[in-house]
Amino acid sequence: MSVKTVPDTPGVCEPPDRPAGPAARLSPGRLRSVPHVGLITVLVLVVVFTAVQSDTFATDRNILNVLGQISVNAVLAAGLTLLMTAGGMDFSMGSNVAVTAAVAAKLIAGGHPTPLAVVVALLLGTALGLVNGLVVTFTDVAPFVVTLATATLLDGVALLVHDGNTLSVGRHMFAFGNEKVLGVPWLLVVAVLILVATALVMRFTVFGRDAFAIGGNEHVARLSGIDVTARKLTLYGLTGLLSGLGGVMLLARLGSSSPGSTAGLSLQLAVVAAVVIGGTSLAGGHGTVVGTALGLVLLGVVANALNLLDFSSNYQSVSVGAVLLVAAVANEMHKARAPH
Amino acid sequence: MTSLEDPRQDTAGPREPSAGDAPRAAVLRVRGVTKSFGGAAALKGVDLDLRPGEIHALMGMNGAGKSTLVQIVSGVHQADGGTIEVGGRPQHGMTVRKARRLGISCVPQRRELAMGLTVAENVMLGDLPAKGRIVRWRTVRDGAREALTALGIDIDVDRVAGSLTVAEQTMVEVAREVRRGGRILILDEPTACLGAEAADQIRALVRTLRDEGVAVVYISHYIDEVMAVADRLTVLRDGAVVRTAPARELDPAGLVRAMVGRDIVSRRADRPAPEDEHGLAVQGLNDGRAVRDFSVEVRKGEIVAVLGPAGDAQSRLFDLLSGRRRPDSGTLRVDGRPVPFGRVRASLTSGLRCVTGDRRALGLVPALSVDENLMLAGDRFARRRLHRVAELARRAAPLRESYGVVTLAGNPPVGSLSGGNQQKVLLAKWLQTEPVACFLEDPTNGVDIAAMADIHALVDELASRGVAVLLASSSAEEVMRLADRVVVVSAGRTVAEHAVTDITRDELVATALGGQPQ
Repeated sequence: MSVKTVPDTPGVCEPPDRPAGPAARLSPGRLRSVPHVGLITVLVLVVVFTAVQSDTFATDRNILNVLGQISVNAVLAAGLTLLMTAGGMDFSMGSNVAVTAAVAAKLIAGGHPTPLAVVVALLLGTALGLVNGLVVTFTDVAPFVVTLATATLLDGVALLVHDGNTLSVGRHMFAFGNEKVLGVPWLLVVAVLILVATALVMRFTVFGRDAFAIGGNEHVARLSGIDVTARKLTLYGLTGLLSGLGGVMLLARLGSSSPGSTAGLSLQLAVVAAVVIGGTSLAGGHGTVVGTALGLVLLGVVANALNLLDFSSNYQSVSVGAVLLVAAVANEMHKARAPH
Repeated sequence: MTSLEDPRQDTAGPREPSAGDAPRAAVLRVRGVTKSFGGAAALKGVDLDLRPGEIHALMGMNGAGKSTLVQIVSGVHQADGGTIEVGGRPQHGMTVRKARRLGISCVPQRRELAMGLTVAENVMLGDLPAKGRIVRWRTVRDGAREALTALGIDIDVDRVAGSLTVAEQTMVEVAREVRRGGRILILDEPTACLGAEAADQIRALVRTLRDEGVAVVYISHYIDEVMAVADRLTVLRDGAVVRTAPARELDPAGLVRAMVGRDIVSRRADRPAPEDEHGLAVQGLNDGRAVRDFSVEVRKGEIVAVLGPAGDAQSRLFDLLSGRRRPDSGTLRVDGRPVPFGRVRASLTSGLRCVTGDRRALGLVPALSVDENLMLAGDRFARRRLHRVAELARRAAPLRESYGVVTLAGNPPVGSLSGGNQQKVLLAKWLQTEPVACFLEDPTNGVDIAAMADIHALVDELASRGVAVLLASSSAEEVMRLADRVVVVSAGRTVAEHAVTDITRDELVATALGGQPQ
């Protein structure tokens, strides 16, 4: 016996993360249902405006520069997108970067071989992530609180490692941080690889779908035979590993690690902003790497535009905050228009 | 009963002489209301008259448009076309606030309490007694207690709403809406999650409201209940009114035909006799006050029902058997092998499948697609590593077919389906995974009669496959329809055990209500 019962609120139900294919014709209604349409519009407006106002903006050199600057953020944001989709949160990635960069710099400055320093940085990052994961999974403390605490703690640890000095690595990692392969900076290659890998994991692996299930409803995920604890530990470990990688990349780009550097909570806020602008839900259950990538590019372009248009650098965080606010409101309106 | 007299009643428009037996003018008059969502028509020109002092049942299958109609009347949605008159005056641009002011209150299907506040605050919400700007807590508590006791509800007003069972939440919400008063009270499946006793209380309350001149819109899937309580009925099908008539002019079979458009017969099916082997055995299960010394043995191919009020004992059994919670004492054996409590993994690997009665909180991931929800457990058991949408759809298609899951457009998020379809997805998700034994908690909760008949057939088929089925139910009809044996539970204790053939429905109801050990 099969009976036709109709949904309570019928409507066209769009899978949330379907990419905008060529099939989407350009009618206003259709256009509005394209994912990230608001974000893309804002991005195009900013790009066009800046390109008109400044000659240097649309040059290869400047574009590569912008993308290079967001590479470290991109690696962190990829991990955070996956973690936030699973309903987790890691506020300590930026501080993890500060610590791992400082430790790697200290090792290299102390005469240890560079590969050893890199491995130590990656392992240290993973370990720090796992500590977050253990506290989050085995206590009921909110991830936000746990990782905010570790973030503050790690910021302090970074200062202790530096002991007031800037740690230079000389030219040990110069090639990785500044040279190009086929005209593309190494750092950007790594960032793109990580983003693509994350997107593939989220879409095509059961591990990725587990993240959606856990973020969507943790009880259901657990009852369905998903080992939620192990998954969460893996995810926190993964964000830690990516933070370690971010630390190495940052060190390679700057050639040194200095106390109170660009890493830490300020880096973290930029990463969280990019992920949230990209439409990943703070409550979990929904997230896309494409959105995160767009968010990263938007923030990078805005910063670059302010720079090129001769605004004072003090406007930097004003702009990040404003973009975040506008994007969050736009996301919410987009959600409200959706049929459910 | 408090504050039921409504001074606004006097301001109702001039009473029109109306044809037929209508003694009083309609307090609410809906004419030709249409509404569509994203191109799909949910209401196609609906008329509804509501008279003061009547209980007007709104019947229809899931998706027939009952909820949409109610949401338009209470201002949640705006109608695309048609008119609404309240007290003889046409109303335009209805909002929730305006509807409230006009005396229309609504107890929705989904419980809407502020979960962090106390019962007292919830009952008095929006109307906290205050002196100046300072809340007078004593008055809040007294007022709330008064509102609850007036309805015969025994809940400590200092408890936090989040700690209440679903049944208690329903009562608090009804109490809140009743306290606010109003000329039109809409109750959307008020007894869906209540046990027999609580449901009786609600029905008695509804009758009192009617006698005081309130127009009650009563939405329910239970035909017997509607026939017992309603004065008039309006039946909706596919967004249009099929029939409006006094309740006495309709019989249950005719009502079903009006709702479904055809006859639905869900009759006891002949199943092969159960095997001798025990599929599921629970011994001496104790957990707080919810479950006390509960023992049951279910043979393979047998359906044993646990009949008792919905809520505490049933959902606690789910928690214990699924491994979400460790009991104080007791043993569980599945297929003859002992299964440790308190570990979801152990419960699943033993071959026991527990299907929750609370599909929203414990059953489905609403944002994920239908296919993904269908395969959520199965794919994890199969230890798949890759996820491909096309392949998933191919695996899910036979399940959709055999469990009768119907979607309008492809593969929408499961949260957008009707209750009946969601329930079928939930059952399909678990029952496809080769269970040895099953625990089903209220499998037809909030489901229309057609879907209910489908689900009964699915459970029959499950037992015929040789699965031991433990069915927790609050409906005597369902137990008589499905079970081989029945265990009657009251206040966490087993009060009786019968073979279904040895007892009539009325005796069963009497046992369940009386709670006397036999």
